Amino acid sequence: MTVITPTLPPSTHPYADVIHRLEAGGSMLPDTPENLMQIIGIYKAYAVPMDFYWRDLLYIAERVFLNPLPAFKYFISQEYLDRPNSYAGEQSQLRIWRGTEKAHPELLEFMARGETGRMPKLLHHLWHDRVNMEFAEACMQAMLWHQGMGGRFNDYLESDAYRANADRAIKAYFKRNPLMLGLYKLFPDMFLEQVKQLSYYANLGLFWEVMAPVFFEMSDIYDEGGFKGVPDAMNFLVNGIFAVAGRPIYHHVFIDGECFEIIPKSEGFTWLYEAALPYVEAVFYRTAPFRGTKSYNAQAHQVPDAQKDFHYGILYADVFPVGSAGIPPTLLMQDMLHFLPPYLTELYRQHKRGEEDELIQLGITFQRSMYNVTSAVIQALRTALCYPLNDPDPEHQLANRRFFEAQMDRFLRPEARLNDIQVQSYR
Amino acid sequence: MLLSLLLIPLAIALLLPLLPGDGRSLRTVSGLGAGLQAVLATALALNPVPDLRLPWLPPLGLDFHLGADGISRPLVLLTAIITVAAIAASASNTRRPRLYFALLLVTNAALVGSFLAQNALLFLIAYELLLIPAYLLISIWGGAERGAAASRFLLFGAVSGVALFAGILGLGLLGGGVPSFEYADLARQSLAPVTQAWLLLLLGIGFGIKLPLLPLHGWQPLTYSQTSTPVVMLLAGAMSKLGAYGLLRFGLQFLPQAWSEWAPTLAVLGAVTAVYGALNAIAQPELKRLVAYSSLGHMGTLVLALAAATPLSLQGAIAQMIAHGLIVALLFLLVGLVQTHAGTTEIAELSGLMNPYRGLPFTMGLLLLALMASAGLPGLAGFVAEFLVYQGSWTVFPLPTLACLLASGLTAVYCVRLFNRVGFGRLDNARADYSSTTLAERLPAVALAVLIALGGLWPQALVGWSEPESQQLAQRSPLPTSPLAPDTRIAHLPALTEVLLP
Repeated sequence: MTVITPTLPPSTHPYADVIHRLEAGGSMLPDTPENLMQIIGIYKAYAVPMDFYWRDLLYIAERVFLNPLPAFKYFISQEYLDRPNSYAGEQSQLRIWRGTEKAHPELLEFMARGETGRMPKLLHHLWHDRVNMEFAEACMQAMLWHQGMGGRFNDYLESDAYRANADRAIKAYFKRNPLMLGLYKLFPDMFLEQVKQLSYYANLGLFWEVMAPVFFEMSDIYDEGGFKGVPDAMNFLVNGIFAVAGRPIYHHVFIDGECFEIIPKSEGFTWLYEAALPYVEAVFYRTAPFRGTKSYNAQAHQVPDAQKDFHYGILYADVFPVGSAGIPPTLLMQDMLHFLPPYLTELYRQHKRGEEDELIQLGITFQRSMYNVTSAVIQALRTALCYPLNDPDPEHQLANRRFFEAQMDRFLRPEARLNDIQVQSYR
Repeated sequence: MLLSLLLIPLAIALLLPLLPGDGRSLRTVSGLGAGLQAVLATALALNPVPDLRLPWLPPLGLDFHLGADGISRPLVLLTAIITVAAIAASASNTRRPRLYFALLLVTNAALVGSFLAQNALLFLIAYELLLIPAYLLISIWGGAERGAAASRFLLFGAVSGVALFAGILGLGLLGGGVPSFEYADLARQSLAPVTQAWLLLLLGIGFGIKLPLLPLHGWQPLTYSQTSTPVVMLLAGAMSKLGAYGLLRFGLQFLPQAWSEWAPTLAVLGAVTAVYGALNAIAQPELKRLVAYSSLGHMGTLVLALAAATPLSLQGAIAQMIAHGLIVALLFLLVGLVQTHAGTTEIAELSGLMNPYRGLPFTMGLLLLALMASAGLPGLAGFVAEFLVYQGSWTVFPLPTLACLLASGLTAVYCVRLFNRVGFGRLDNARADYSSTTLAERLPAVALAVLIALGGLWPQALVGWSEPESQQLAQRSPLPTSPLAPDTRIAHLPALTEVLLP
């Protein structure tokens, strides 16, 4: 793409430098070799647990379903570990990325041994020597709780068609359990609400099924010397977003070998509008005050009145005080720590307290990388809603400028980390 | 052995200027010397040895007479332990390390000499000697206002020395008969009540400054806040105990009648000091000054125990000297670590230091323990000492005891406030580029913390030293039981230890 120099006067926005960079086809994250290394390294470390997250989310949504005692919902079945990725591998329906279809070898190795060595799966689980699915569930709950962030998915959950589909599945699931059927009779909304949540399990699982091979491939390309800068990495994400934008989002449940289509593919829900954008909004921006070391006083208006004003996501998260960000960052940081590429481990060793505070350093790297992903989403939205960056029409350039400034307005809050990531010393 | 306790630090202090090597090796040599002294002090604590008496200037009544009873022995051991910790806590890149470590060791020798002296003039020499190295340590290695702090320390120290000189001369010369400055003779002589009162006033001023006691505390907050960490550990941990020791030895033991008469005043002064120290600690915006005022408050409690002069309160006073010495040394050591790594001791500029990754969690964990010990929480040394003090003083001075109990409650207030602000909260990424503490920095703090915990779990380590001496001293200065308090005085101390020990 040819990017022409804008004819507009410089922006007067507090984030003018970032806006000019976006207008030039760049990312919110400055283009430095270290930033590129950091974000690609962390994408790789994120992709491995993500490969487990999406499989287990779909396993829970499709197989565990309404199990009243889902104690073993994180004990994913072999079938789901072997489930071919829809967009990577030989058996994929639409091969876009080059990875293999089954669970990543590093993930399988970690699941077998963990950090502690070989021992029964239950002990690995109780010792938390495993992939922390709690993080994935927290993301899903953020999407469920915020709702209404674009797309038609949430409206469909309130429709009669959805209620009828869910009703069939609930009755089929509990057909040999009169107690639960009796409860369903007494409290018809109780299981329906559970099914709605499970639909969000499916939604997020299908979203991450796409993202995991994207991140794996970015890591491979970087290792081959393919990315020259941060904008290259961002553009790869933008292209990826458009490549799978129309991927169907659905919720199927398998009961006694029969498939119940709670949200059929025919409803036409798409990956971009019903999963990706709500996910970014709910998880990157909003989430909720996490029960961590920092407490918020709602009566003193430390918590916004409107959910749309929530700002506890990774783009605002203070990684320092453990657990004060919206999504429990420590769980994901712990998950990513197992799969850091050697060059990132070496980088962390050279800064701050080295191995001692590796978790914090990688948390901040993750924050940088998510600013890059958000940049890709912003550029994708600009492509969809505004004009090409090389459009010579000043009116169109102005429209793009206004779009970028409106996006940057969301980072005017003091909690936003956009200023921090502009400097390399923020670690 | 008694002579070795003095000669080891002095010999190494003299040797240091001649030794080659850098600050690290000089610190090692000094530490080894202080360690050897600590071993000897432990042996002395476990097995008392006969006095050492060498004639020095007999016409003046000055003999080189060293001895160690149940009051001296724990204080000698305390001084040795704190000296080891202070040397270990000293930076290897300290400026002018030869002079620095030599002065630390001379300070130690002067303190040990004061505690071991059995002759009042010898005590006075050691007491006055202390002023010089301490002044130099403050003025050369202190903080930004070290000049003012050192001058104030010197001024108050000089007044203290003059008052003490006059008091000791009066003690030795006004007794009638052959002038003598031997402790045994001073304890036997009987002075007129008015004479005793005047001498007690002089000695009270002298030791009250050293302790310090309100209103003679003017030097303390500034000096403690401007003095380097190892030196302030020694000043607050050991040197302030010299004031309490002097009051006990010279006031209670040698002037029992005057002590009985003026004890209520002393008790009130102690109570006022305790409350004043605690209230000021609450108001302090800076860590070192907070610990300084906290120390002042605890000295008030100590004076209450001395004033009450019951067997229990006196044992409590000895226990309080040891416990407070260890606790305040640990507090200053940890505050020093915060200063070294965070670059400030201003409370407003610190928060979130408990953060396990980027904060100072080890330091803050020990600080929490030290603060709990300071607040007198059960299971730690501070509780044992304060419990004995309050139990022993309540029968004689119930109202001042209640005031000190209130001060103890206020201790918890500033401890919680301090920890809440400094330990918890948000660790600011922009400022919190702290390096983590090293093993060498942690070791002295761990050693002191272990001793504080040991004192709490094994109270005999604090109270077992001085049973006979406390009993004898209490009998010299009997005070009437207050009608406000039930008579819970425990007459037989062996029974006390049985009560305290599981």
